[in-house]
Amino acid sequence: MIEAFTSGFWQVLAWPAFGYLLLGIGIGFWVGLLPGIGGLATLALMLPFSYTIKTPIEAFCFLLGMLAVTGTTGDLTSILFGIPGESSSAALILDGYPMSKKGEAGRALGAAIMSSLIGATIGALTLAISIPIMRPLVLLFGSPELFIITIMGITFIGTLAGASLIKGLLAGGIGLMLAAIGVDPQTGSLRYTFGSLYLWDGLDVTPVVVGMFAIPEIIDLAVRGTAISQAPKEKLKGVMEGVKDTFRHFWLVVRCSLIGVYFGVLPVLGANVAQWIAYGHAARSLKDKSRAGKGAVEGVLGPGAANNSTRGGDLIPTIAFGIPGSASMALLLGALLIVGLQPGPEMLKSRLDVTFAMVWILIISNIIVAGISFLILNHLAALTFIRGSLLIPFLLVLVFIGSFTANNSIYDLVVTLIFGTLGYLMLLNGWPRPPLVLGLILGKIGENYLWISTAAYGAKWLAFPSVLILIAITISIVAYPTIKERRGRAKYDRPEDAV
Amino acid sequence: MRFSARARAVTTYLVLQMAVLGAAAPLFAQDFYKGKTITIIVGTKAGDAYDLYPRLMAEYMPKYIPGSPNVIIQNMPGAASMIAANNVYNVAKPDGLTIGAIYPALYFDQLSKKPEVRFDWSKFQFLGSPVVSYHLLYMRSDAPYKSIEDIKKASTPPKCGSNGTSSTGYWLPKLLDEVIGTKFDIVVGYQSGGDVDLAVERGEVQCRAFTITAWFAREPFITWRKTGFANVLFQSGEKRDPRLKDAPTIYELMDKYKTNATGRRLTTVVLAASDFGRPLVFGPKVPADRVKLLRNAFDKIVKDPAYIADAEKRKLDVEPIDGMKLQKLSKEVIAASPDVVQKMQKLLGTGE
Repeated sequence: MIEAFTSGFWQVLAWPAFGYLLLGIGIGFWVGLLPGIGGLATLALMLPFSYTIKTPIEAFCFLLGMLAVTGTTGDLTSILFGIPGESSSAALILDGYPMSKKGEAGRALGAAIMSSLIGATIGALTLAISIPIMRPLVLLFGSPELFIITIMGITFIGTLAGASLIKGLLAGGIGLMLAAIGVDPQTGSLRYTFGSLYLWDGLDVTPVVVGMFAIPEIIDLAVRGTAISQAPKEKLKGVMEGVKDTFRHFWLVVRCSLIGVYFGVLPVLGANVAQWIAYGHAARSLKDKSRAGKGAVEGVLGPGAANNSTRGGDLIPTIAFGIPGSASMALLLGALLIVGLQPGPEMLKSRLDVTFAMVWILIISNIIVAGISFLILNHLAALTFIRGSLLIPFLLVLVFIGSFTANNSIYDLVVTLIFGTLGYLMLLNGWPRPPLVLGLILGKIGENYLWISTAAYGAKWLAFPSVLILIAITISIVAYPTIKERRGRAKYDRPEDAV
Repeated sequence: MRFSARARAVTTYLVLQMAVLGAAAPLFAQDFYKGKTITIIVGTKAGDAYDLYPRLMAEYMPKYIPGSPNVIIQNMPGAASMIAANNVYNVAKPDGLTIGAIYPALYFDQLSKKPEVRFDWSKFQFLGSPVVSYHLLYMRSDAPYKSIEDIKKASTPPKCGSNGTSSTGYWLPKLLDEVIGTKFDIVVGYQSGGDVDLAVERGEVQCRAFTITAWFAREPFITWRKTGFANVLFQSGEKRDPRLKDAPTIYELMDKYKTNATGRRLTTVVLAASDFGRPLVFGPKVPADRVKLLRNAFDKIVKDPAYIADAEKRKLDVEPIDGMKLQKLSKEVIAASPDVVQKMQKLLGTGE
């Protein structure tokens, strides 16, 4: 095993594999930065080029290297402009963009890059460590357990609600209702499609998120008539400060990375969900809750780590069973077949070196991208000091191209505009937007697992020990902060403590 | 006399002219594609299996279409490729520059009279399909169902997983229920076929219907076949696949259980989707000479050894069916009798 571990390392660094890795990183870097044009679509476009590559490790250097960095550089766009660079980077906007507005773009970028690196490393190491227990790990949770985990995710709506719990819950409820749009997967009947074929597949998360978050910020930027940063330029520093923040909140970063890994392992969930849960966890861990959404660095660190660590988790079902853990893994599987490697259990035996090479690709590509990023972060951060009127046309083009890539349909733009308007109205009236997005993402998944559980087990699944344990955990997560707060207050109420 | 001689000359000239024009017509079509760009509208997202075939075809088309046009792919995903089908049929200019790559079972929706259907399946001009896909049903070998007979007799029906009501995993077991009298319990809602396979590993469900190709080409099935984790209970082709000698075909089962004529006609109509494979189509008004040209090109591409080698390298099966056959088949399925259509609606859960 040790032999395969080192062999994988040297094979990644060998030529031409390393060249392919650099090429992949170069492409992934830009794909991540540009909104909407996601890692998945790029992977599909790049696949034919990998047909000419000879060995599995070289092909993986190119494709996995590319995929691994999109998550990292996607975070940068979210922080700088309030536009999600990748759909898995949207949660970075909540605190990252306010930091840019405060003139702390450098610090936020430093924190995002460093937490991404740690997240990716933890994800990759988990992948390496879990090799002997991969199969039971994946099989541990069936549909009933996944349903409860989805419910656990929905309870984070409360955390993401911000100042007004009622408004947060209502926004979450609207999100859950929006998730019902489309062909109902159980009976095939159409729900709320109003005769439109576009709505058959439900609302795509990308145009909704881009509209919801980017449009209001662009309107705001236009109205203010200043640069994104409202602070003077002298304050532009702090990339290192962000790096230090990562280590100040090291355990938070580790916990969020682990959240990311596990959501990667679970089928269907993945980075899109993990980022919000990690954000919710980070926001909940704040001592002063009112800082959430106003530029707290913890809100950058959490999702920054989680959306990178999912990649390691994603690979686990892919390797253990040859069953892809996500859409991008399905494409990677295709590439592996072409270079003559049957993904699946073989990779745990005769081709263990390939598995370890993947671990190394995840780590090395993130180290390289962090290195490159640190060289240019200050220049990127300087963009937030450019006059808004010069940036806005450019940002609008990015927003609409980004949405359009979801389905290549004109209706993607309509959805962006509608949710842009809704997002602006919500922002004006103090309604939190993240609960709506979380409701939209989790609603469909939750409904499916509930149906499957009931169809497969009747009502019996409610009494499964694993389900009961998960329900207990969910309740304690919901109740714990309230209890802790009460106790804290009770303590304060005692006169001797007040002194 | 002179007049009539002149008339004769004019007539001769006209006849000659027409002959020349007639001969030139194909030439016009050949010239037509020079310097033009053909767009293949694919009804799925990039990277889907339905997307991989047209992308491979696109690489070989310039070689075989006179005039070597550019060929590009445009993904127009949504509504199980119905958006793409409606677009190719109604919106795209009928100039032979837009090809649709759509799902083979879209005629189900037409037969069940979904209002969203804006096409007549039999009027699409089929260019061919690079592959026909037959199906099978696998069952975990530790489940108490070793044969279709066991399922018919069982007091608790087996649970099969499926990722939607329009997928094979749903309609194939349903068809068997209808024509053989089995009872499958179908658990719908999984996100993908892979999710169903994982659920089978966990024991949440026990069976799934899907393509024979995947059963032999991919994990986890390679391992399953090796360890005997699952067995194949039946297959949908007319003859037994040489690799699946022990699994009866649905036709053998229908003989054994004496399925009536309506049931057999229903089977024919439903299983035609296998033959449509992954069809490439033109809209109804594309001129016949251009259709002919593209059908010729299709027939040559699928015989090109370089294409076959490329397809094998990408693990894509090569089992083409030509456009004329699909055209004939499309007329047959759309002409299905009302009793068959009614059964079909019941089968797919789309009837009243």
